[in-house]
Amino acid sequence: MTEVAQLLVNGLVAGTILAVPAIGFTAIYAVLRFPNFTVASHATIGAFAGYVANTAGGFPAWAAVGVAFLVAGVAGVINDEVVLKPLRPSGALTAAIAAVALTIALENVIRFIWGNDLRGYALPLRRDWQWAGLRIGPQQVENLVIAAVAMGALFLFLAFTRTGKAMRAVADNPTLAGIKGINAEMVARLVNFVGMGLAGIGGMLLGLDTSIDPLTGFRVILSVFAAAVVGGLGSIPGAVVGALAIGVAEELSLLSLAPAYRTAVGFVAILLVLTVRPRGILGERAF
Amino acid sequence: MTQRSHDLSRRTLLAGSAALAATAWAPRGAAAQGAAIRLGTLTPLTGAGGSYGPSMRKAMEWVVSEVNAAGGALGRKIELVSEDDQTNPEAAVRAARKLIDVDKVAAIMGTWASAVTTAVAPLCWESKTFLTTVSGSDTITQLPHLGYLVRTQPNTQLQIGKLGEFILSLKSKRVFVLAAQTPFAAPSQKRLSEILPKGGSELVGGVIYDKDKTTFRSEIDQALRAKPDMIYLNGYTPDTTVVLKELFKAGYTGAKIAQGYAVNQKLLDSVPAEVTDGTYTATPSPAVDSPGYKRLAKFLGAADLDPYSCQCHDHASLVILAIAKAKGEATGTAVKDNVRKISQGSGVKVDNAVEGLKLLAQGKEINYEGASGPCDFTETGDIIDCKIRYDVAEKGAFKLVKLL
Repeated sequence: MTEVAQLLVNGLVAGTILAVPAIGFTAIYAVLRFPNFTVASHATIGAFAGYVANTAGGFPAWAAVGVAFLVAGVAGVINDEVVLKPLRPSGALTAAIAAVALTIALENVIRFIWGNDLRGYALPLRRDWQWAGLRIGPQQVENLVIAAVAMGALFLFLAFTRTGKAMRAVADNPTLAGIKGINAEMVARLVNFVGMGLAGIGGMLLGLDTSIDPLTGFRVILSVFAAAVVGGLGSIPGAVVGALAIGVAEELSLLSLAPAYRTAVGFVAILLVLTVRPRGILGERAF
Repeated sequence: MTQRSHDLSRRTLLAGSAALAATAWAPRGAAAQGAAIRLGTLTPLTGAGGSYGPSMRKAMEWVVSEVNAAGGALGRKIELVSEDDQTNPEAAVRAARKLIDVDKVAAIMGTWASAVTTAVAPLCWESKTFLTTVSGSDTITQLPHLGYLVRTQPNTQLQIGKLGEFILSLKSKRVFVLAAQTPFAAPSQKRLSEILPKGGSELVGGVIYDKDKTTFRSEIDQALRAKPDMIYLNGYTPDTTVVLKELFKAGYTGAKIAQGYAVNQKLLDSVPAEVTDGTYTATPSPAVDSPGYKRLAKFLGAADLDPYSCQCHDHASLVILAIAKAKGEATGTAVKDNVRKISQGSGVKVDNAVEGLKLLAQGKEINYEGASGPCDFTETGDIIDCKIRYDVAEKGAFKLVKLL
């Protein structure tokens, strides 16, 4: 019983962190209508930006997360303007393939600067808290709080600000939004900034508890994609639900599967959802 | 003005490409006087083995430059073509195809990860290209390689056998294995389960995990439930770093042992000492007292060499000497037929290719003993014996425990 409870705890923590880049991915999909796989490299960019802020700049973790958001967000806007935007008129598939290529290129830029070695954040390593046979790390709890705050801020932004409402309007119906005078191009830039910024936070949160290297983002892109598909591509609350589902499912699979097969959980989830309910758990309404 | 400078640059470009084309053709032009002997290196410049590959390649380049400076092998220059295997079987196969089909190398040297070697080996024996590797998995020499493969790394059977004896000497009673998914994960675990009971210890369980995951909390829970007093971490550096940190966080206080390629100085530098303190490492030891080792260490500018650079030094030397023994026939088959004639037996002992080439030219028999060890091979291409060095991590540095 404690085993299941422990797996649930691990899964919920993993899922909450996964939800952050998954929201970024799905928000970009909602507005621009293509799967932007550069979320992987922007997660890595965020992780390294946070790493530099933390180790060279002496920022504490929560402030370094802010740097990760800004740097990954700005990089996201630039990369989109220069590479992906000109290709979008050729269709979603073209843009998606270009995104895969771009993500490999960006990953190698990082490799060129920092090399392949693993890097750890300058944080004190603390023993886990143990309680009734369950354990949870202080860093995990901190990550959980940071992820929750980031998501909360995004929801407030989308629900109550004028720009947030404009973003939702474009996602729901671009033509109608255009008629109403919403500048779609500005919204595209904004969604790239916010989406990739969130990916950057996600990358850093993944690395905070372990370590980072140029493949940090690439390793989780399948889980991120699975979370977005399971929750409903384009639905932001869906991404959260999907991420929690994938996080918990990956952990619970250990009850009956050898850990080496855990990666298969994401693929199976995508397969199941696309077969049974292609619109995902919450459908594709953005918000 | 703009037009003119444009013209100029185009002319320069043309001249440049002509020069480039000339260099590209030069080796073929020289074919009449004995074409260069082409050899390939395939090392992990990126990926999990990325911290070893560059120095492995450097060691081979050095051997080649020494031989070329001394006039080449039988008067022919050696040309080295280097590729990156990315520690990834798929990328390695692409690179090997290029080396075999385009560069037409006689031998591919230096594959590191067992999965990479397993993927590349069939291409080599099918195209009669010789393969030298530093991979340790038992399954590699069991492949039907027809003799087109030797390795300088002790196999799992030899390594784990010795590791088991060392664990028994530490009086550990309950051993658990946390292994990354590799071709040697399962054979290692099986071998340990055979060895440990002989000394009154037992293997209480094992988990094989996917090394690309970012966290192994659940795997570690599984290990701790078995209440081990010794955990064997059979992975690579990236995943072992995470596992060590998580074992610390989970409050595990028992003993730990890992392979030296996984828990290396880089790992010790990247995590706090309290995480790694007391971790034992096992490393197939190069021949640290040999002249070959000392010269290579001087060239690479390091006091302590990793075993792979030493082994790669020997790969290049062995292949060049075998080609010279075959009277300059630069083919994989010639290397296969002659490599044992220069590496073992009663000939004059030599520790470098240049000296060996001189003796061969005088018609003498030689026995190469390199920087990594005696380099004597069984029929199937395994190394016959090897010393293993055991260290323990203390305050972020390694301390020698014993050499077995």
